[in-house]
Amino acid sequence: MTALDLPVRTHPDERPQVAASNQKRSRRRREYGLFALLVAPNLLVIAVFAYWPIIYNAFLSLTDWNMIAARPTFVGLSNYTRTLTDPAFHKTLGITIAFTGLIVAGSLVIGLALALLFNLPLKGRSVVRTISFAPHILSGAAVATIWLFIFDPGYGLMRALIEPFGAEPPDWMNNSDWALPGLVIVYLWKNVGFTALIYLAGLQGLPKELDEAAAIDGAGSWTRFRAIKLPLLAPITFFLLITTVIGTFQAFDVIAVMTGGGPGDATTTLSWSIYNEGFQAFNAGRAATLSIIMFVILLIVTTVQARVMERRVHYR
Amino acid sequence: MTMRRRAFLGLAAASSLAGCGYRSVDADYAQPAGAVPKEFANRVRVVFWSSYGGANGKAVGKLVEKFNKSQQDVYVEVQFQGSYDDVAQKVAAGLIARQAPDIAVLSDVTWERFYLNDALEPLNGYFTDDFGPKIYEPKLFGEYVVKGQSWCVPFARSTPILYYNRDLFAKAGLPDRAPRTWSELRSWGPELARVQTGGRSLRSLAFAKVDGDWQFQGNVWQFGGAYSNGLDVAIDQDGAVAAGEWQRKLIHEDGHGYMASSPMTDFAGGLVAMAQDSTGGLKSAMSKAKFKVGAGFVPSEVAAGIATGGGGIGMLRNATTERKQAAAVFLAFLARPENSAWWTTQSGYLPVVLKAREDPELKKLIADEPNFGVAIAQLANARQQDAIRLYGRNSNVAIYTGLQQIYADNAAPKKVFSSVARRLEAIGDEVRRQYEEKVL
Repeated sequence: MTALDLPVRTHPDERPQVAASNQKRSRRRREYGLFALLVAPNLLVIAVFAYWPIIYNAFLSLTDWNMIAARPTFVGLSNYTRTLTDPAFHKTLGITIAFTGLIVAGSLVIGLALALLFNLPLKGRSVVRTISFAPHILSGAAVATIWLFIFDPGYGLMRALIEPFGAEPPDWMNNSDWALPGLVIVYLWKNVGFTALIYLAGLQGLPKELDEAAAIDGAGSWTRFRAIKLPLLAPITFFLLITTVIGTFQAFDVIAVMTGGGPGDATTTLSWSIYNEGFQAFNAGRAATLSIIMFVILLIVTTVQARVMERRVHYR
Repeated sequence: MTMRRRAFLGLAAASSLAGCGYRSVDADYAQPAGAVPKEFANRVRVVFWSSYGGANGKAVGKLVEKFNKSQQDVYVEVQFQGSYDDVAQKVAAGLIARQAPDIAVLSDVTWERFYLNDALEPLNGYFTDDFGPKIYEPKLFGEYVVKGQSWCVPFARSTPILYYNRDLFAKAGLPDRAPRTWSELRSWGPELARVQTGGRSLRSLAFAKVDGDWQFQGNVWQFGGAYSNGLDVAIDQDGAVAAGEWQRKLIHEDGHGYMASSPMTDFAGGLVAMAQDSTGGLKSAMSKAKFKVGAGFVPSEVAAGIATGGGGIGMLRNATTERKQAAAVFLAFLARPENSAWWTTQSGYLPVVLKAREDPELKKLIADEPNFGVAIAQLANARQQDAIRLYGRNSNVAIYTGLQQIYADNAAPKKVFSSVARRLEAIGDEVRRQYEEKVL
């Protein structure tokens, strides 16, 4: 049977076809009008505060401007060629990738481990859960100040903890080998509570039947974790991966307070070098160039992640 | 092809849109918002952006309050904006937003960029017999004179001085004075190291992690070198390398020096015997420390020489004529000997007005507490910094991140400074045209 064979139900006050379609059109127009009216304020705000800065930034990246001169000088793509061939930029990129990689891997692994722990019916777990989430909502500057104290080789908590074992604590923030690991520790401490919370929500939403069925079939807890829980958590992992990568790439607050990109350039990440170029050196053009490069990198990373995950992640 | 044309049109549209937002050098700009108390409502309001917090900030507040009560026409509103760098960033942002303070504290390395880009008001036209070239300390006043015009007036000017812990010096059996040369300082290391403090053997000297390039400017001169001659970079040459090498040895060979996030905090906490830091921190160091603070000249080596620094006050060209004139009244008030002297007694900064040195209160303070006289006496050795640090944007950061590599990683100064020199040369090239046109 095709749709055409269906009996036609006529409306009691059915009007001629043409009038109805006219009315439909005008109603649709009205609806569009209303729709446009309702979304316009939002669109306007997004356009002014998100798109316009991006466009303006792209324009600035083609100029040389110290922000005080009456107007920028157009220099074409020379900021890009200069930046992309600068060895200091390559080093910055390497540091940013190492920094991001360590924090993303650490947050996911430790976050998942904590979530598994919090998912066990242990006494006092809600208190511990709250405590572990707390650093996430603290301001970065406050966290950084606390950790500066903890790491301080003179008065720090770390000294009190390490010295009794006969070891000399490293001068974390004033040593090129230790500064980046130190920052990673701080960011992990700050982030892990959040990833743990999201993973925990994921774990609690998993269907119990699969797990029980596997248990009855004799699968051990490791096998059940690896073959059932982990794959089912894939959408969560995907979400966390993207948000953590973006968040870490843009990390600034703790770096600004704790190391200022130093010692030397040991902790100069892309976001710090944008600040340094823009607000310390007043090179708006070069800072804008770095921002565009960061934007493109994040766009590529996110697209690749999304493509790969599309194939691997199964949303239930 | 279409894409390219579209992109081009988009860009053209963006640039023309953006173009209308830039500063015009002679436009009148609005002031940052604030609150004027009722009693001062009918006066000309002057907004003053300051970079002094803590005890120094309170002293600035008191000076402003005294000014507001001293006359009926002008109301100065002081707005604390953070560090010297913060003030510079915010003034630049304010100029873009067409809303700027009328006067602002600008540091030894930030006022030049505002001058080079026509953002400062020349001050000669505002000078009178009681406010102008005749009354200020000539060296400090002269640093702001370019092409015959004054672009700022000195206010919180400083030099580094050598702070030492008199109690720990006595414990180590050392004389109660600052070492005269860097070699002498180094030779005192072992004696100081025998003193235990905070569970460790005492170290001689702490080097600043951030902004240490200001002290190092003097150190380079003391070892016979320079950062630059004009804009021609010299930091990779003998004198500067020798200064870096001396510091590297003290830290990494002797173990008697180290890099500190805040040398003055460590010094006031008794963790280190000496620090070379701004005279502007004298008052606060003496009130924080639980020991007798000593102060002396920064040591010499092959030469004496010390860099001036600190803040002056500049007037923004985009303020209205009325506000500029009102601001000048306030600047003249700050230049009265009694006010300049009082500011010195409260902070430790140099008295920038010559007659302030005759002020009875300051004289009494120096008699009771000779530390306050050290920087004044040392002023004979002081001079303006090398041009690359003053005019090259971000030169200071390039130099102090280089120093961090020496302090933290035991990097060889020769190697570090040759790479710093390349960065400084690039920085110098950016401003060379403006520098030659507007400064030389």
